[in-house]
Amino acid sequence: MIYKLGTIRSSHEGFEHLAQLWSDAALLFSRQLELDLSECEFFDANMAAPLGAVLALVADKFNRIEIVRVRPAIENVLRRNGFLTNYGYKAEEDSGRTTLPFARFQLDDERLFADYLKRQLEGKGIPRMTEGVGKVSQQSIFEVFQNSVTHSESRLGIFVCGQFYPHEQRLNITIADAGVGIRSKVRAYLGSEISSGDAICWALQGGNTTRTGRRPGGVGLKFLHDFVERNHGKMQIVSGDGFYEHGKGCGTLGLAELPGATVNLEIHTADTQSYRLDSEITAENIF
Amino acid sequence: MPETITQEIVVRAFDVIGSPLGVSSDDGQKVHDKIAPLLREGRKVSLSFDRIETIISAFLNAAIGQLYGEFPEEKIRELFSVKDMSPEDLALLKRVVDNAKLYFKNRPQFDQAWQEELGREE
Repeated sequence: MIYKLGTIRSSHEGFEHLAQLWSDAALLFSRQLELDLSECEFFDANMAAPLGAVLALVADKFNRIEIVRVRPAIENVLRRNGFLTNYGYKAEEDSGRTTLPFARFQLDDERLFADYLKRQLEGKGIPRMTEGVGKVSQQSIFEVFQNSVTHSESRLGIFVCGQFYPHEQRLNITIADAGVGIRSKVRAYLGSEISSGDAICWALQGGNTTRTGRRPGGVGLKFLHDFVERNHGKMQIVSGDGFYEHGKGCGTLGLAELPGATVNLEIHTADTQSYRLDSEITAENIF
Repeated sequence: MPETITQEIVVRAFDVIGSPLGVSSDDGQKVHDKIAPLLREGRKVSLSFDRIETIISAFLNAAIGQLYGEFPEEKIRELFSVKDMSPEDLALLKRVVDNAKLYFKNRPQFDQAWQEELGREE
């Protein structure tokens, strides 16, 4: 099968294109997928994460994948972040050190992810942030990763990729999984036929969690939401046919569904705000 | 000489998890499993975050949040404390504690309220 992938930006349309790819390739079994990028005019580097998740699902069905006819500028970006080296392309040195390379982690690789993040964030804007926002940014990224670990059931792992834009002082990082998706977890928990968009909104409400055991949940996504709001950053969550963007609410992606769940974070690294508590909370009166 | 029950025991999170990163539920569980038996014995426990660089809510939910399902609030206030936390981490802990109190008190009500919200939209 030859599939022509369109332009992939961190946008509703970009995610729609990836969902359409999965929709068309999902039934392939022990065949070949030739992903033709000749019509892809732009590719946001961080979007390699959800593309990686989709292609891992395709490969899991014994299909061979080739990525062909990549425009030079896009090839350069996707070789520098290491994505294309998974498909037979030579690695390209990231001399500007602006990429957070494409990486795939297993669900129990939390320590490996921590090492990756620490190594990759050095010299990429976070140290230039005030100590508080740098710390909260890292917490936010770990929250997203841990959310996938806890909820995704993604046996193919978790896919991470990012890009730092020094002139614009922003960092984009995307974490995608190839798991069961948010809707199925929320439906099973609530016992109702909730849509993907509503399921994402439900999960974003403080206190809402599909956890039922002794460990409470329902803080992480609300924490993320509040951080993005204060940082004037951006957050998109895509799962199934649900699409959420901070400030725009929850809606539908389109006719096709993106497997698993993807969280795309854009952090303003020039943020100098304090992320401490407004009120006088101390270790003595917190409980 | 055996310790008296009034002596405060310091549990150092770094030593329990062997890392400056409290970024997983499993590591939080390890910390919880050190704290809970001591509280059950009526001992005073102080959890130190010295040398811990990053913590997330899942870690705190497992380490501290679930204590609210096992002990009355008054008992936790009387016996348990934290120290060596940055103001940002205290802010996150405050969210976790407030959420845990509600989680164990109002679990069915949370879900009922959402079901009603969905019902109104349909």
